[in-house]
Amino acid sequence: MPWYLYLALKQLFPTGRRFPFFTVISILGVALGVALLIVSISVMGGFGHEIRRMIVETQGDVQVRARGLIENPAEVRAQLAQVPGVVATTPFAEGVVLLEHASRPAYPNVQGVSLTHVGQVIPLRRYVRMGSLDHLDDESIILSAQLAVAIGARVGDTVELYSPLLLQKLRQDEIFLPRGLRVAGIFEVGHQQLDSTVVLVTLRLMQDIYGLGGAVHGINIKIAPDADADGVARAINRILPDTLRARSWAELNQDFLFVLQLEKNMIFFLLTFIIVVSAFSVTSSLLIAVVRKTREIGLLSALGGKPRHVAACFCFQGFLIGLGGTIFGLGLGFAALHFRNDMVTAFTKLTSSETVLARFYQFSQLPSYSAPGDVTAIIVCSIVISTLAGLLPAWRAAKLNPVEALRSE
Amino acid sequence: MAEPARSSDSLNVERSALNVERSAGGGPILQARGLAKSYLSGDRRIEVLRGTDLDVAAGESVSIRGESGSGKSTLLHLLAGLDAPDAGTLAWAGAPIVAADATERRATYLGMVFQSFYLIPELDALQNVLMASRILGRPGPADRARARELLGRVGLAGRVTHLPAQLSGGERQRVALARALMNSPPLILADEPTGNLDERTGDTVIELLLSLCRETGTALVLVTHNAAHAAKTHRGLFLHDGVLR
Repeated sequence: MPWYLYLALKQLFPTGRRFPFFTVISILGVALGVALLIVSISVMGGFGHEIRRMIVETQGDVQVRARGLIENPAEVRAQLAQVPGVVATTPFAEGVVLLEHASRPAYPNVQGVSLTHVGQVIPLRRYVRMGSLDHLDDESIILSAQLAVAIGARVGDTVELYSPLLLQKLRQDEIFLPRGLRVAGIFEVGHQQLDSTVVLVTLRLMQDIYGLGGAVHGINIKIAPDADADGVARAINRILPDTLRARSWAELNQDFLFVLQLEKNMIFFLLTFIIVVSAFSVTSSLLIAVVRKTREIGLLSALGGKPRHVAACFCFQGFLIGLGGTIFGLGLGFAALHFRNDMVTAFTKLTSSETVLARFYQFSQLPSYSAPGDVTAIIVCSIVISTLAGLLPAWRAAKLNPVEALRSE
Repeated sequence: MAEPARSSDSLNVERSALNVERSAGGGPILQARGLAKSYLSGDRRIEVLRGTDLDVAAGESVSIRGESGSGKSTLLHLLAGLDAPDAGTLAWAGAPIVAADATERRATYLGMVFQSFYLIPELDALQNVLMASRILGRPGPADRARARELLGRVGLAGRVTHLPAQLSGGERQRVALARALMNSPPLILADEPTGNLDERTGDTVIELLLSLCRETGTALVLVTHNAAHAAKTHRGLFLHDGVLR
C-alpha cells in the first residue's frame, strides 16, 4: 500500500486507540446525511411507486377515449385485441352523481364497469372489503370506504342516486324520482382520494342513468407484463380512427408524475446539503489536522515524501470518511426503512394521531421503494462530496514549505 | 533506560559492503560551495550564510557549532535540499542537487535526525522506523526484519509496539536514529539531536549515533551546541558570521 494511503488509514484509525473520536464523529455526520437521504428518497419513491401501481390497477395500463362517446365499443375492443401486447380490455362509463343516504348527501364520481370484463383488467375483487363484487347488479352499488362512512351507509342499506339526466327531466317538467340502489359492497384501495370520492355501478346502469344507450366513455386496456405502455398506446393509435385516442397511464398522469418527480428531486437536492454540511465539518477537522501536524508534514518531506503524496494522504482521509459514512449510512437508512411502519405506529400512538396518516397522507402504511438509480446517486454524491472535503486541507498540506513546517511551534 | 545493544553482525556485514561501494568513487559524499542564504526581517535583509563551503567524505563525521541564530539549522536544511540557497551549489556524491528535485533522492541518500524527534504519534516505534522505507514503496518482510534489527541495535527491541507517547525522550530519539538509518543512507544530518534531552541521555544518544555511523561507514554532519559532543567527531567546524571555519 502506498505510504500516503497507509498514513491516511493510520491517522483515521491510530494504532492502539479503540475510539478515534474525530473519525467516528466525521463518519457519523456523513452517515446521518446518507441515512436521511435513503429514508426520504425511498419513502418518496414508495409514494410514487404506490401511486403508479394504483393508477395502473384502477385505470389499466392504457386507456382509449373518444372526443365524445365511443358508440361502438364492441367493434373497438375487437380492433384492440389485434394489437400486440394487449391482453384484455374493458369498457367503462363515468360521471358525477348526487348520492344521498339518511339525509347525508355526497357527490361522488360514479364508474360504470362491465362485470364481464372488468376483472381481466382491474383487480377490483382484491379491494372489496365488505360485501362482494358478485352481488353487484343493475339495482345495486359499491361504495368507497370513506364515502360510506361519510354518508353513514352500510352493506345492505339503500342509497338514493340523482343523475344529471334526472335534472334534465326536471327542466322538462317531468317527474323527478331518484334511483334507489342497494349497497352491495364497500371497497378500499388505500388511496384517500379514491376511497372518498368513487362509487361503482354496472356499466348498464351507468348507461341508463346517463342516457348513453350502448355507448361508453372509454376502454381500459391491460397489457402484457413485459410490454411498454407507451409503445402499445402508439401501436393502438396507428390502427384507431382519429376520433379515438389511446394514452398510456404515464401520459394520462404526466403532470402528476412530473410533480412527484420534482418533489423527489427537490428533497434529494435539499437533503444533500446535510452531507455538504458534514463535509464542511470534515474539511474543518482536516484543516485543523494539517495545522496540528505541520511538523509531521515537514518530516515527511525530509524523509522524501512528495508534496502531491502528502496531499493525497489528506484527500484520501476525506474519501475514507465518505466511504465509511456512506456504508454506515446505507445500513442505518435501510434499517430505518425496514422498521418504518413500527416507528410510524409508535410515533402516531405517542401523538394520538393514528388516523391522521391514512386521512391526510392517503396511505394506511408508509410505502417505500428504493430505486437502484437513486441509491447509486446517493452513494456517488456522498463519496464525491466527502472526497472534495479533503481537497482544501490536502492543498494546504501540499503547499507547506518543509523548512517552515519543521520550524513551526 | 535500556542499554543499547553493542553490535549487530548482519548490519556490519551489510555496511562493510556498502563502504566498499561508497569508497570506490573517492570523492566527497557531500560538497557545498559558496552557499548563501538571507532572510527579510521587516525591511531589513539578514544574511545568514555568506558563501559557506563544506566537504564531507564518506564515513566522516563533522560537527558544526555556533551561536543560537547563527544559521546552523539553515545550513543543514540547505545541505538536505529542503531549502534553496540564494547562491552557491550543492552536490551529493558529485551529483548537483537542486532543492526542487531533491525530494526523491533525499529518501535514499539522506537520513535526518531532529531535535524534536518528529515521530508520527499514530504509529508505533516499528511503524515509525518503517515509514522511511514505506516512502520508497518497499515495506517488505526484509525491511521489517531490518527495522526490528535497527530497533534492537538502539536498545529498543522490547518496545517495538510502543507508541511515541509511551516512550521517553531518549527512547524517541533512538527510534528517530533507527529511522534515519533505515534506508542505509550514506549521509546523516543531525540537527541538535540532544537538544531536548537531559545531559546523560544526550550523551548516550550521541555515543549511539557516532558508533552506528562508525559501524556502518555512514557520514555524519552533526549540528550541536555541546562542545563535548562535537569533540567526538572527526572534524569540528564553527559557524560564525555566516561562514564555516
